[in-house]
Amino acid sequence: MLPTFAYIRPESMREALEQLASDEAHVYAGGTDLLGCLRDGVFEASKVVSLSGLDEMRGIEETADGGLRIGALTTLAELASSETLRARYTVLAEAAESAASPQLRNQGTVGGNLCQRPRCWYFRGEFHCLKKGGDICYAVEGENQYHAIFGGAPCFIVHPSDTAPAFVALGASVRLAKGRSERTIPLEAFFVPPEADIAHENILEPGEIITDVFLPAPQAGTVSTYRKLRERGAWDFALTSLALVMRIEGGRVSEASAVLGGVAPIPWRSTPLQDAITGERLDPEVAANAAAAAAREADPLEHNGYKVDLVKGVVEETLLSFA
Amino acid sequence: MKELTYYLTEPVPETPKPQEKAEPWTETKIVGRPEPRVDGYQRTSGGAIYPSDVNLPGMLHGAILRCPHPHARVTSIDTSKAEAMPGVHVVITDKTPGADIPWYESSQRGDSRLFDDHCRFEGEAVAAVAAETPYQAWDAARAIEVEFEVLPFTVDFKKALDDDAPIVWGTTNRTRDARTYERGDIAAGFTAADVVLEETYNIECQLHMPMESFGSVAQWEGGKLTVWHSTQGVYPIQQGLAQNFGLPLSHVRAIGHYVGGAFGAKLWTGKYSAIAALLAKIAARPVKLFVTREETLLCVGNRPAVQMRLKAGVKRDGTLVALEMENLGSGGAYSGSGTGSADFQTRDLYLCPNVRTVSHDVYINAGEQRPMRAPGHPQNSWALEQMMDALAEAIDMCPVELRLKNIPTVSQARGDRPYSTTGFKECLEEGAEEFGWSEAREAEAANGHLKRGVGVAGCLWAAGAGGPPSTAVVRYFSDGSCNLNMGASDIGTGTKTVMAMVVAEELGVPLERITIEYADTGTTQYASASGGSKTVPTESPAVRDAALNCKSQIIKMAAGELEVPAEDLVLENGEVRSTVDPDKSIAVGQVRAFRASQVVVGVGYRGPNPEDTVTCPFAAQFCEVEVNTLTGEVKVLRFLGAHESGRVMNRMTYDNQIYGGITMGIGLGMTERRILDSNQTGKMVNRNFHDYKIPTALDVPADISTVAIDLGDTFNTTGAKGIGEPVTIPTAPAIANAVYNAVGVRITDTPINPTTLAAKLAAKREGRG
Repeated sequence: MLPTFAYIRPESMREALEQLASDEAHVYAGGTDLLGCLRDGVFEASKVVSLSGLDEMRGIEETADGGLRIGALTTLAELASSETLRARYTVLAEAAESAASPQLRNQGTVGGNLCQRPRCWYFRGEFHCLKKGGDICYAVEGENQYHAIFGGAPCFIVHPSDTAPAFVALGASVRLAKGRSERTIPLEAFFVPPEADIAHENILEPGEIITDVFLPAPQAGTVSTYRKLRERGAWDFALTSLALVMRIEGGRVSEASAVLGGVAPIPWRSTPLQDAITGERLDPEVAANAAAAAAREADPLEHNGYKVDLVKGVVEETLLSFA
Repeated sequence: MKELTYYLTEPVPETPKPQEKAEPWTETKIVGRPEPRVDGYQRTSGGAIYPSDVNLPGMLHGAILRCPHPHARVTSIDTSKAEAMPGVHVVITDKTPGADIPWYESSQRGDSRLFDDHCRFEGEAVAAVAAETPYQAWDAARAIEVEFEVLPFTVDFKKALDDDAPIVWGTTNRTRDARTYERGDIAAGFTAADVVLEETYNIECQLHMPMESFGSVAQWEGGKLTVWHSTQGVYPIQQGLAQNFGLPLSHVRAIGHYVGGAFGAKLWTGKYSAIAALLAKIAARPVKLFVTREETLLCVGNRPAVQMRLKAGVKRDGTLVALEMENLGSGGAYSGSGTGSADFQTRDLYLCPNVRTVSHDVYINAGEQRPMRAPGHPQNSWALEQMMDALAEAIDMCPVELRLKNIPTVSQARGDRPYSTTGFKECLEEGAEEFGWSEAREAEAANGHLKRGVGVAGCLWAAGAGGPPSTAVVRYFSDGSCNLNMGASDIGTGTKTVMAMVVAEELGVPLERITIEYADTGTTQYASASGGSKTVPTESPAVRDAALNCKSQIIKMAAGELEVPAEDLVLENGEVRSTVDPDKSIAVGQVRAFRASQVVVGVGYRGPNPEDTVTCPFAAQFCEVEVNTLTGEVKVLRFLGAHESGRVMNRMTYDNQIYGGITMGIGLGMTERRILDSNQTGKMVNRNFHDYKIPTALDVPADISTVAIDLGDTFNTTGAKGIGEPVTIPTAPAIANAVYNAVGVRITDTPINPTTLAAKLAAKREGRG
């Protein structure tokens, strides 16, 4: 049922990157998304390179500047249970905990979570859609109840990750490695919308992988939270989610970083929401205005208009919880 | 000779005199107790062998190639590549000799074949493969080259009667003329009403999701076929396969011991059953064929979506005077009805002199309907019970009170015959009391954005009485242990446990000394499939009869030895004793004839139900929810099921049915729905467990309580009615009514969750709704 592929488990990063430098090689981290894609024939693989032998890619550790380095093979369960994250990067621990199911969180990795393919049922199913090289995005005229309300065209996928909005809101950066070179970029610049690249959701080049994610040291007075709306209590992707990081000084929001999930092809930074609360004292009026601001640029399809209400609702409720 | 040991732990009821019919029990010692499953350890430890666990020497694995289009004609099939693949033994298509098995004969129009070239739904079988491993079989199935002529399709049942809708069959998409039921004078009823409400309700299509998939292992031996089949009834499987292959019933043995769950779609054979047998026949090897999870979502059965327009008239004092319902639904491309039984409670649940229902059924290019846990009833309940809630509000009456005002004692839709018992009143009253309905209903609303509400819904299930035929055999061994032999399947409900308790009740044998042989056409007696909530009411009187028969025989043996007339003897406390002369008694284990024969074989039968009464179960369910008015999230906080299903045979399995039914009802109401790409390709888009959302443990409240109403029904000799289906009927509307109570928003179309609720709440908040 799976395609025939070579399975390789390198013992060193260098070997792994060498093995990945060929066409149709795919990275196997937790495998929770890769195996599903291969079984469903979403894409082919002639070579699967497991990273499970690379212990240097695991773990959470403090960096010299007071931030954190999180190895790309760290599991979602490890993020969710980290006391450090819970205390200093609450939004990330909550996001990791809200993802998938306990079994999947034990297996799924940070790198894999950031690089997972969209869950659009046309992309995953037997439809030759725009993203797979076809002529149309079936979501435009079809069953689009879970699709994008921001930044959609020409392909209306939503980015499925729960941790991505949290990482972006925290100002994370990622270290990428390919062959013998590496680069570190802000995570926000890692994701690309379909109008820039219809086939890919990020800037990874063939053979390139995420090795680490870096979080800056939190500033004093920072509060954060992740709130996810879904149809059932577990094992469900976000209908809409909000990753919110705020610095509160003297009762007012001095800095705000707000990223929506489940509503756009990339983690969707809501500048209108940030602007609506920066410098403000959080009260019902500010919350209502911010909710309206966050939803203002939404452009829903036929069946996903409810997401506009969800954006407003999740913003208002979350802000009021800090009021 | 070894000394016989007779075990007896409990006093047993008196044996009927010869030629006397058994009277219903008045009280019981074992039946009714909360007993764990007799096979619980096997089921939870992995020791139980389910059909999908069966592996035979030399066994091959089957896979089915299915049509990827909702409507298409096969123009050519090339199997050469597949046949040349490693491990492949057989590839079969419509052209294969022996594959011209007629199918869908029960549908209204025309016949079709096992691999018919005209495919009327996505997932229809086109060809099949048997290979040495499942992976080889799947790879080969995918390597079969098929050319399709893709045809126009209709998958939206609401558009099936449009002028431009492509036709599934013949000249119209109507399966038959609209079916109408009418009593009284509907127009006069509405004229007499003080309040008339009208609403259209929609409920989405729910899919069968048993833990064990659908399939069998098939083996031929000398022209005889044996199948290990995941099924609710081995006898329908025997019949179906005998018919498919032109065999006498004696030449087909169906074995279906453990079943990993079934909700109606495993009542009879599927194409997958015939395909496994055909592959095995041609390959001359056993073949295992269990369909994938995607296939179970696509094409093995469903609970159809129904659109229901309901108009109701009530007087100010709560008297219902008119109910008018018009339903539209589809059973898919072939057999089955989309609206079947989806109006029955409108006719029968409440006292109402003027009722009219009209049901329209259409064909669509989608997988066929199969019975699913109380067919039609949860759909009907979704409309009727929300309407009752709305009527109650319109006349400013408590919804429990309105229901209590309209409780019939006769079945108005079935010749006004009285119910053998109707516990609907008690379900409502005792359920409300136990739930704390009045207090919860009157509780002050919270100030914040989280609002609580409570809701109620009632139901009846049209069947659930059971009836003949059924034959059960009890073998009573001379050491006092027993073997119960019955044809019925235990589909996970606890049938085996309940029947063992019946034997224990009558013979005083401890449960651990009773073994059960069941669900095997080769070794057990005929039983109809376990469905319709009728297994316990059908089988338990037969099992009791068989146990009584054993007792009678032992008394007869003892009568000879004691030289006392049998009618003067009773079997009590392990001895046969004269009621006339206290000195005349003998321990059962000392009866010489019993010691000599080593076994007494008792045969029992199920007698008919009384003709002058109607028997069915009733229920009321209550729930409390918390609604987030900003996000539309709904948390079900607690549920209570008050059920009148006759005698409670085992309080643990009884309660488990209520927990399971409510869980399934939460899925129907809140998360589950088949989604077809109706505008473009007609294909099902959510054929996996992440897109088709069955509830998780976090969606089901930990707080589910049960109230058992037992009014001592005597329509059969055990007094048991069915419980398995009524438990899921009123769940979804109870939630909808609770949501309305919490936030004043009526969800007429499933699902009840943020995707439907958020916009309505926002509209209400902004004064638009």
